[in-house]
Amino acid sequence: MFNTIGDVKAALSAQRYIPSDEIATTVFLAEKLGKPILAEGPAGVGKTELAKVWAAATGRELIRLQCYEGLDETKALYEWEYAKQLLYTQLLRDKLNDLLAGVTTLAEAADRLAAEEDVFFSSRFMLPRPLLKAITSERPVTLLIDEIDRADAEFEAFLLEVLSDFQVSVPELGTIRARHQPMALLTSNNTRELSEALKRRCLYLHIDYPTAEQELQIVNLKVPGLPPKLAQQAVELVQRLRGMDLKKHPSVSETIDWARALLELNARHLDRATVETTLNVLLKFEGDLQRARRATVRDEGDRARRERDEFGRPRRDDESGRFRGN
Amino acid sequence: MDQRVVDFIHALRAQGVRISLAESIDAMRCVEIAGVADKQFFRSALRASLVKEPRDLPTFDELFPRFFGLDTPPPLQQPGGGMSPEERERLAQMLQQMLASLTPEQLRRLFEMMMTGQGMSGSQMRQFIDENTTATQTTTGFQPWATRRALRELQFDRLEQLLQELLQKLREAGVSEAALQQLEQEARENREALAQQIGREVGNGLQQREAEERRRRPVEDLQDRPFEELKYQDDDDMRVIINRLAAQLRTRVALRQKRANKGSLDAKSTIRANLRYSGVPLDIRHRRKHLKPRITVICDVSGSMRAVTGFMLMLVYALQDQISRTRPFVYYRTIADVQADFQQLRPEDAIRVVPERVQGGPWQTSLGACLEIFTRDHLDAIDRRTTVIFLGDGDDHMSPPNPRAFETIKRRAHRVVWFNPEPPYRWGREDNHMHIYAPMCDAVHHVSNLRQLVAAVDGLFS
Repeated sequence: MFNTIGDVKAALSAQRYIPSDEIATTVFLAEKLGKPILAEGPAGVGKTELAKVWAAATGRELIRLQCYEGLDETKALYEWEYAKQLLYTQLLRDKLNDLLAGVTTLAEAADRLAAEEDVFFSSRFMLPRPLLKAITSERPVTLLIDEIDRADAEFEAFLLEVLSDFQVSVPELGTIRARHQPMALLTSNNTRELSEALKRRCLYLHIDYPTAEQELQIVNLKVPGLPPKLAQQAVELVQRLRGMDLKKHPSVSETIDWARALLELNARHLDRATVETTLNVLLKFEGDLQRARRATVRDEGDRARRERDEFGRPRRDDESGRFRGN
Repeated sequence: MDQRVVDFIHALRAQGVRISLAESIDAMRCVEIAGVADKQFFRSALRASLVKEPRDLPTFDELFPRFFGLDTPPPLQQPGGGMSPEERERLAQMLQQMLASLTPEQLRRLFEMMMTGQGMSGSQMRQFIDENTTATQTTTGFQPWATRRALRELQFDRLEQLLQELLQKLREAGVSEAALQQLEQEARENREALAQQIGREVGNGLQQREAEERRRRPVEDLQDRPFEELKYQDDDDMRVIINRLAAQLRTRVALRQKRANKGSLDAKSTIRANLRYSGVPLDIRHRRKHLKPRITVICDVSGSMRAVTGFMLMLVYALQDQISRTRPFVYYRTIADVQADFQQLRPEDAIRVVPERVQGGPWQTSLGACLEIFTRDHLDAIDRRTTVIFLGDGDDHMSPPNPRAFETIKRRAHRVVWFNPEPPYRWGREDNHMHIYAPMCDAVHHVSNLRQLVAAVDGLFS
């Protein structure tokens, strides 16, 4: 599908996603080696988005498995549809009677029934969950296993078979092999250590917050109507917020949301009032908000003072200026 | 190239990055596919297949340029470019004469390489160094020192003197001054290149020895040794022991949870399971009662406590998958939230830096005041599901006991447990306030060695 790493980059860019060299290389290797990718990094840097654009770029269907504590095989892999089985048994009672007509001994009746047993334990009564769907799919798919760190360690161990051999064992049916090997992407927010065995089977991709330059590119791509100067200022502010000691740093998706908000509000430039009213799009904790507000006020004070300096006028608040400057 | 990648993997392992055989095979395949033409892609390919922990990325970034960077020493050149043929003839002759009588052998080889420009490959050079120098160091931190030492043993500084001798002889034989100057210049450049190559190979040798040393060392069972006797600085052994203990604990916990059907009846699952008995409930299913504990650890990091605190925190972090949330605090003279440190660093490294956050010296533990600060600033670390673990000897040299703050913590928490490495007969003596806090705890464990510590931690999961 892809011949060079450049192809991957172009294909992902065509889906309006800006991949770093790191991301493009890893996706390329995953395609070539057929290995799953484990993407780690802070929330909201585009890990899930990567799976979506990867699927779109290769024209595959995306199958998503969201992990949570207590997720088990019956919810991730398959489940027998007991109700349907029961219903069929009831409806087919007449047929069963026909089948058993003329039988004299109990043993013979049991044998005849056993011969038909497969009807009830076939894929017809099986409810496929995401993993089985991905494996039995007629067409190649991209499998997204989201937030694997939320699932239990046992589930992780169960995933090993699926991820290394792309097969699952169903006791009643035997082993089901994948027709097309799905391309798998696992994401983790690093809330706990994943097992060595799982990591060993994956290519590892660490996605961090983008640089100012990349983020500006992203904002320009996702929010095209935003004036360039405003975009620049917005990204600068976000980057500065990330440097601060906050409970939760603004993610890329929040930057985009904020940029959209600014566009909606028809903002021309980032003045204090605009920042004050829209900052809650970026920061989700009251403490963080207050800290960020204090910082922006301080910055503005600094800038105002600098401007006065440029015009050669005497500074009035010399004392406090020196103090804050430190 | 393959050899270089293998060497690189060895070096990463020597620095404590865990790389399995399967991963090194993957790395080879990745390199094959990504190619070596574009360095950025090559680097990403190695990184994606070898480094699986964010905290190992700096190690990778540091080592990569050393192996695949541009700082490879410049190649040797043949001196005597500016000479006429007969002058060159004379140079070869003189050199032969000098080399014939030159001792020791290694100096002869060096001088020959310097004057003829015919160097050695990396592995040859390594062998040459190994044969002619004594290696005593096994840590890469000693590289500059070991390089200086190797150069001294090879009598590298005598090369200058030999060069001057040769130049003098050539001058007497009537070689032009300009040619001689050029020769001297070229010979000096060769000497620098040689020194660089030696330095590099010494470094590689050190890395290899370090890796071997690590492999050879046996891991003894240290469970019953008192903490003071454990060599706390030995990261790797500790990690092995702790991981083994954590695995034991994990199986024990899992088994206990499997056997104990204490949860409430799971009606749905029971109906489903008993369809095959036509709805007669023969097989009763229970909802798993699998509440992972939330843990807030408050650790004493005074000198006497540091070893046991280190082990405790490493154990807790090795068991992260069994715990839903961990909040570590350390106290000495004051108390600090050190969660950020543990998120950024490996637990064993974090333990080393956190004492700096709570500045204190000998006899400066002030537990009472720290409890006061904790109840004022950090009570959000405790809710009704949290088990609070105090890890300390209960000594307090600076402030009076603070049962009121302790009571506040206890009221908010699910459980309060104290791990104390001091034997009970010392509680309450001199500056020790353990006898005041002990009755208020839900459980007090005396932990003086790893076995006791593991037993105490095991208690948290039941």
